[in-house]
Amino acid sequence: MQKTSAALTPGLIAIVGFLTLCPVVMLILGSFSGELGAFGAFTLDKYVAAYTDPAFAEILVSTVIFTLGSALVATGLALFLAYLNTRTNIPGKFMFGVISLIPMMVPHILFAVSWVLLLNPSNGMINLFLRQLGLEGAALNIYSLTGMILVEGLLDLPIAYLVIAPAMSAFDVALEESSRVCGASNARTLFRVTLPVLRPAILAALTLVIVRSLASFAVPSVIGMPGRIYVLATHIYSIVATGYAADYGMAAAVGMSALAASITLIVLYRRLTREGEKYVTISSRGYRPSVIDLKGARYPLFAVVALISFVLIVLPILVLFYTSLVPYVMTPGAKAFAAMSWRHWVTVLKDPVSLLALKNSLFLGVGGATLGILLSFFVACVIVKVRTKASGLLESLSFLSFSFPGIVVGIGFMWFFVQTPLYSTIWALLIGYIATYLPYGLRPLTSAFVQIHSHLEESSRVCGGGPLYTMRRIVLPLLVPGIASGWILMATMFVRELSLSVVLSRPGTEVLAVQILRFAEDGLWGRLSALGILMIFISTALVVIADGIAKRLSRRG
Amino acid sequence: MEIRVRNVSKFYYSEGKRIEALVDVNLVIPSNRIFTLLGPSGCGKTTLLRCIVGLESPDSGEIAIGDEVVFSAEKGIFVPPDRRGLGMVFQTYAIWPHMNVFDNVAYPLQARNERQEEIARKVARALHFVQLDGFEKRPATKLSGGQQQRVALARALVAEPKVILFDEPLSNLDAKLREETRKELRRFLTELRITAVYVTHDQIEALALSDDIAVMRNGRIVETGTPREIYFDSDRQFVADFIGHANFIPGTVAATGESGTRVDSAIGPIACAKKTGAAPGQAVTVCIRPEFIHVHTDGRGDGENVFRGKVESLVFVGDACEGEIRIGETVLLFRIDPTAAVREGEEIALQFDPRHCTILMS
Repeated sequence: MQKTSAALTPGLIAIVGFLTLCPVVMLILGSFSGELGAFGAFTLDKYVAAYTDPAFAEILVSTVIFTLGSALVATGLALFLAYLNTRTNIPGKFMFGVISLIPMMVPHILFAVSWVLLLNPSNGMINLFLRQLGLEGAALNIYSLTGMILVEGLLDLPIAYLVIAPAMSAFDVALEESSRVCGASNARTLFRVTLPVLRPAILAALTLVIVRSLASFAVPSVIGMPGRIYVLATHIYSIVATGYAADYGMAAAVGMSALAASITLIVLYRRLTREGEKYVTISSRGYRPSVIDLKGARYPLFAVVALISFVLIVLPILVLFYTSLVPYVMTPGAKAFAAMSWRHWVTVLKDPVSLLALKNSLFLGVGGATLGILLSFFVACVIVKVRTKASGLLESLSFLSFSFPGIVVGIGFMWFFVQTPLYSTIWALLIGYIATYLPYGLRPLTSAFVQIHSHLEESSRVCGGGPLYTMRRIVLPLLVPGIASGWILMATMFVRELSLSVVLSRPGTEVLAVQILRFAEDGLWGRLSALGILMIFISTALVVIADGIAKRLSRRG
Repeated sequence: MEIRVRNVSKFYYSEGKRIEALVDVNLVIPSNRIFTLLGPSGCGKTTLLRCIVGLESPDSGEIAIGDEVVFSAEKGIFVPPDRRGLGMVFQTYAIWPHMNVFDNVAYPLQARNERQEEIARKVARALHFVQLDGFEKRPATKLSGGQQQRVALARALVAEPKVILFDEPLSNLDAKLREETRKELRRFLTELRITAVYVTHDQIEALALSDDIAVMRNGRIVETGTPREIYFDSDRQFVADFIGHANFIPGTVAATGESGTRVDSAIGPIACAKKTGAAPGQAVTVCIRPEFIHVHTDGRGDGENVFRGKVESLVFVGDACEGEIRIGETVLLFRIDPTAAVREGEEIALQFDPRHCTILMS
């Protein structure tokens, strides 16, 4: 197997290298070119135009405030939750596991939309309710930087939590205990010992959330654009999607700075997580977390956690489902319940574009994830089994795209696909998806490969099983859980994909998230909600089916 | 079946450095014996085993199992492990976690496409042999360490190989279970009359289990012999030191004769009963194991090889007391009955058994 894998390496480097480097190279070439058609003639015009635009400074400031703000919100909440989970006797600890799984469940665009439905100044449900109480005008306005930061912060909370919680639970309690013995109070220990020791993890979480919010398109487009607040991602989008003529050269020139910022931040993140190992001490022997008794604060703090879980999971789905049933936005009550009907659902299911989007997204989810996992399988095999310079190169290449903002990758691919017959076909989207989300399939598969001890394969060989027989009866069955979670991750990401699709999707290749964005732009909230619930349903169904098949397969041997 | 290893060498390259795993190893493993490769970690014993089984291929030399040459660098022969027809028990047992006990044991037969009834019969027999009757349906993950070890053994035996190989199979068991399993394994292997190659770094395991032992160091075979030969008669300091405890006393040969050799040392003349090729005046080292030092608690003692010294330390280890005694500048280890009336700081006399004073050439 090792020899076959080694032989595969050059081919895989070519495929993965193409997928990750093609958009970058095309972006660079495109930024120095004129229009999509006038490819190749060197010019600096687009850079001059992009960076001398008087609005650009404001966009830059908004981007910095938006990304930093959401990073602070997400990391602060994550610290609070991780501390409660690992260090205190708070009841209902299962909820923390749920919170870290949210990104699987509610697509970002739907989460953002549900907040718009609750808090938009003209007919947000909470605002309508406050008006009924006698408050004049719009009490709360979601279409603001604060609104964007809060929503994005909540969305990125799980990522920050996944970085901070392990560091927090691996923390050597003796450090805290010695501080307590020295006479420091709980609070003093927290601020003088615990937080400083966790600094690398905290900084890593901040950096990761900044990268994510820089790439985020759902929140800036659904919440920012109606309030005329533009960040880099929406600025790029507006250059190619609104106005008289799409200017892909200028979009590429702007995209270059987003890409450069992302890569810098990811390099910083890698350095921080490497440094982290130095600080955080994992003592496997006799590890016993000292639990702080919250006493009277137990249940109030539990209520806070419960509220956060509710806001993250239940509320968006409730709001969407409610909105899909009422004829127009109204506060829940007798009148609303009387007016409920399946009208929006029927409209959506009769709308040819929505149906096409459903079909396309389902195809991209199932087909894309299957192809993506196939590629991930071979790449993971080489990364884990073959330890050469070439496999190291393959590893760096395949995790590179993790740092690329989707919309920028989309612009880069646009420059490429327009030269090929793939332009405006569903295959363009498929290739773009796999290129951008390869790390999602690769991460679970590499860890699955690592977990198969070489003795398990070797003993099959000694028992008389040839290489293929060993692959079929030992390696593949043991990989099934990794394959399943990789497939599920990719499929759910593909079904909801937005930031890449807004650039690559053309008439005929609409996908669900883009169709939802169109509905949002037109204010068709009822149809949007019905389609959104369908989207959540499809994702959930794919997860359940894939999980069921995997369970059945791995039970056999 | 006999295994012949001829001029086998194997090198690794790690961070630009060449590491010699095996250097020109020549070895004949006789058929139907339990043959142990013994040595400290990194001595190349596992690499040699993996070369025999075919999981690694040497850089040079030739390996033959019975009449078949399974590896030859010169002739470009490499028979893959699945065609060598061997059985092997891995250090980690390598029990496949996604299968039950039956499928784990049946695997070698299934790989050869044997008939269902035949498979069922052979698996039942193998499981009976390792005393796991009725465990067929048990998932592999629901087994204790000792049971996993037996399943691994049953799987290695089920296809009736002519040779079975063991890679430190007892090292993951706790001390008590290890001792029991060792005895059982000895019984199994004697019953089967099969060629067994056993790799371990544990000298007690090697001595208790083997018919023959090859001691390895730095990729070379240092010495081969029966456990008794290796323990009592080794004339190499590394072997004597690695197996059991030993005192080494430097000296010069004073006289040789029919009754043995006399060596002058810092603690006085030592009489050694064994014959050696050493000539008078030659510098040698006398090796005496702690258990062959007799302690005279009355402080008297007479005859040859009697030395007097002060007990420097005495540690009670359960079945014995282990002590250090100082004679002039020399400190020697000794073992006595735990109930003996010896105390730290006391002057005692001790006597070496001349039959167990081995002379090592320097």
